[in-house]
Amino acid sequence: MKLRFTRRSMLKGMLGGASVYVGLPVLDAFLNGNGTAFADGAKIPVRFGTYFWGLGLTDTPAGGTRWVPSKIGPGYEIMPELEAIAPFKDKVSVFSGFRVIGDGRPNLVHWSGHAGILTGVAPAAATKFDGPSFDTKVADAIGIGTRFKTIDIDASVSRQPVSYSTRTGTTFASPDASPLALYTRLFGPGFQDPNSDDWKPDPSIMLRQSVLSAVTEQRHALMKGLSHADRLKLDQYFSAVRDMENQLAVQLQKPEKREACVIPQPPKDAPPGASVDVVNENTRVMARLLAMALACNQSRVFTFVHTAGTSETYMPGSSKIYHQITHDEPTDAQLGYQPETSKLASEVMKGFGAFLAELDAIKEGDGTLLDNTLVMAFSDTGYAKIHSIDNIPMFLCGRAGGRHKAGQHIAGKGDAVTRVSLTAMQIVGAPVGEFGAGSMKTSNPINEVMA
Amino acid sequence: MRAHVMRLCAAPLAVAMLGAPCAALAAWTKTYVVEWNEPAMYYGAKTGVTDPGTDCPAGTNPEPDWIQVLMKAGYTEEEAKWLRNPANPTRSPVHGQNQMAFRGKNRANVYVNPESTPDPGLVGVTGTIGEGINLDGDESTGFTSPDGEKGIDNMFYKTLGCWKTYRGPRRLSSGALQFNDAMRNGSWTTVVVVSGKGDDPMNDDDVLVGFYVSDDKLVKDGNGNIAWDYTFSIKPSRRYEAIFPARSRNGVITSTKPVDGSLREPAYLRDLQLTKAQVKLTMHPDGTLTGYVGGYRPWEPVYWGWVNARGPVIEVLTWVELPAVWYALKRNADYSPDGPYGKKTHISYALWLSAIPAYVMTPDASEEVTSVVSYKDLAPSEDTRVAFEAISSRIRVVDGIVIDPNAKWQAGPNAVILPPKNATGAAQ
Repeated sequence: MKLRFTRRSMLKGMLGGASVYVGLPVLDAFLNGNGTAFADGAKIPVRFGTYFWGLGLTDTPAGGTRWVPSKIGPGYEIMPELEAIAPFKDKVSVFSGFRVIGDGRPNLVHWSGHAGILTGVAPAAATKFDGPSFDTKVADAIGIGTRFKTIDIDASVSRQPVSYSTRTGTTFASPDASPLALYTRLFGPGFQDPNSDDWKPDPSIMLRQSVLSAVTEQRHALMKGLSHADRLKLDQYFSAVRDMENQLAVQLQKPEKREACVIPQPPKDAPPGASVDVVNENTRVMARLLAMALACNQSRVFTFVHTAGTSETYMPGSSKIYHQITHDEPTDAQLGYQPETSKLASEVMKGFGAFLAELDAIKEGDGTLLDNTLVMAFSDTGYAKIHSIDNIPMFLCGRAGGRHKAGQHIAGKGDAVTRVSLTAMQIVGAPVGEFGAGSMKTSNPINEVMA
Repeated sequence: MRAHVMRLCAAPLAVAMLGAPCAALAAWTKTYVVEWNEPAMYYGAKTGVTDPGTDCPAGTNPEPDWIQVLMKAGYTEEEAKWLRNPANPTRSPVHGQNQMAFRGKNRANVYVNPESTPDPGLVGVTGTIGEGINLDGDESTGFTSPDGEKGIDNMFYKTLGCWKTYRGPRRLSSGALQFNDAMRNGSWTTVVVVSGKGDDPMNDDDVLVGFYVSDDKLVKDGNGNIAWDYTFSIKPSRRYEAIFPARSRNGVITSTKPVDGSLREPAYLRDLQLTKAQVKLTMHPDGTLTGYVGGYRPWEPVYWGWVNARGPVIEVLTWVELPAVWYALKRNADYSPDGPYGKKTHISYALWLSAIPAYVMTPDASEEVTSVVSYKDLAPSEDTRVAFEAISSRIRVVDGIVIDPNAKWQAGPNAVILPPKNATGAAQ
């Protein structure tokens, strides 16, 4: 007998004079035989995230490189600074030779690079972007229906929390900057174990939800009489309100069971100091929490910062920070590169390797969480010594549920970085046909990596 | 390759009405855009960027031991180590350790008062080969050029040529890379116009060479090189313009009369103000133009360029004590506008440049330039104070350091430097 309801159906009711909408739980009738996909053919959801680290990877002005493979296409060789991703090579595509084009705007050091990648335009001023970061477009497209539209994480142990995710270009996300804060957010009060058989909707959440809903008309009326600038501010504010509503609505639904979801133990916060071993361990612990949050369907979108553009990290015991070393270390004549810089770049990449390992450790269906995820990893510079915004290292990691033809090296030959950003957006299903502005405007994704 | 622009300035009145002076008739004109420029610093080693060479037998000046520098300035070892510790919250990962400034007598700020500390010493060039121009016509003084020309005046090179910022093969020193990368990404554009009245551009007794700036940005090709034959309109500027009377012999253009002029420099100090300036440029068969612009420049603004780029950052990143730079420039200055017995306020200098063919238009972009003339009269009045490269629009550098007014701890002569008991981080 054909069901009258689908997995998208909502039940409508009233609570305390206000309407309450309750989504249907994921009934077995909605799933296929082995539970790996919905019966209507929809796949396990694809997750998307950005991973940022500061100070690029090592190039030399004479053309040498420690990270760009010589082989183009599938089967690229593992360069010294890519060692940490070697175990996942078949799931990682490497993008070299892409650049940010300023169209006359100056290179704002440690800012123009990732701003260009995320927004599609070189910014006019440091500390601001000229538009929203594209992860927010992705979140709007695929982040609905989960408790958190986006999870923003900063593992850098910097003096100030670091996030490059923004909806306005002026206000940036407030990331969880310690493992304990992230754990509390993900698995503290409000978390519902999707595997629990003893699930009931929380009346207090229903009440809060209805209260928020009740102000909808008022806030629409309020928006009408405001200036453009004030409307932008309020839009940002109400965006957060809507996220809250969404979270509450999700908590009124009985979640589908998730085999891979295991509630982790609360972690300990990292010791003080931003030495690279501490940052990498922080990255590993926070990646494990993130992975479980994705597996438990708490969110489908995340942003992750390993180190800021002006990275504060350093080798334990050294009086020099990595940032300083990239600038002051001469190129070794025999080696042809900056050895200490390269050593630190490799250390930083170990953090990225640990991050990917945590996502790849979670079995999901017939693959891993990483197989159902696309991580776009990138930095702020190419040759960090001179703050170059040419040849910024970029990676697409994970198979995105089969949509990413991973394991390739794509040489950009001076193309704009926006081609990689657009490719990422289109792979995960964001409805974006073109991206960027000026010389970086593109409607030309990199088809070679798109299934 | 772009063909020579060879046309007469046939309608001077009409062009002048459009905002493009046209005082001189030129028989030929060649136009270029600068794709690379850097201080002329001969590198005497065979390999590397810091190796020992004929210029600097001990190699590039080594990194100072900053713990020792601070201890010499009166800080205890514990204080010095804590000031240099990456875990010290007073040491900004971006702007450095402000307390580094206060190492003069009675902890005076050595950046603004370099004489408050004894000369730390800066090893200069000891080699005899140098690049540039014989500015004073005296072949018995100065360097010998790599191709044997004697009397090359470049005391700037002698003074700073072993400093890591400047030392390295052409296009590979860290300073040249940093600032040319900025220029090539659009920070500024310099165009060059060469015109002559003779029949043969390669051999012409009446040549003019004009340097101007443009608001049109350089364009890179797919390989990251600056693209040829793009179009640039001259921006009239009272600050950046220099016109040189010259002659050409076998394609080599040399000045016939020293002039005063100013160019946009690839440095933290934007203004290359030259007096008794000359050119020595070569027009190559492939259409490019390379060579030198030389002259005497005020040396103190050079020093302030580095101080304003944030003293603690420059010192640590470029391996130099800034007071040493001040003493060395003062010691080696070789020219006084007031005559041979006047105070030596200027130092001989040369800028090496490489330019590629480009279309250069009049300021209103109505037509290609056909001669070398001054556009200063068309320029709006502008601030004529010395211009420094902005570190950031949000950063205000005061006395060589960036002060966060909201910080609990402030650097200064009386700052208390005590590491907290639970401090972690570097051991050295």
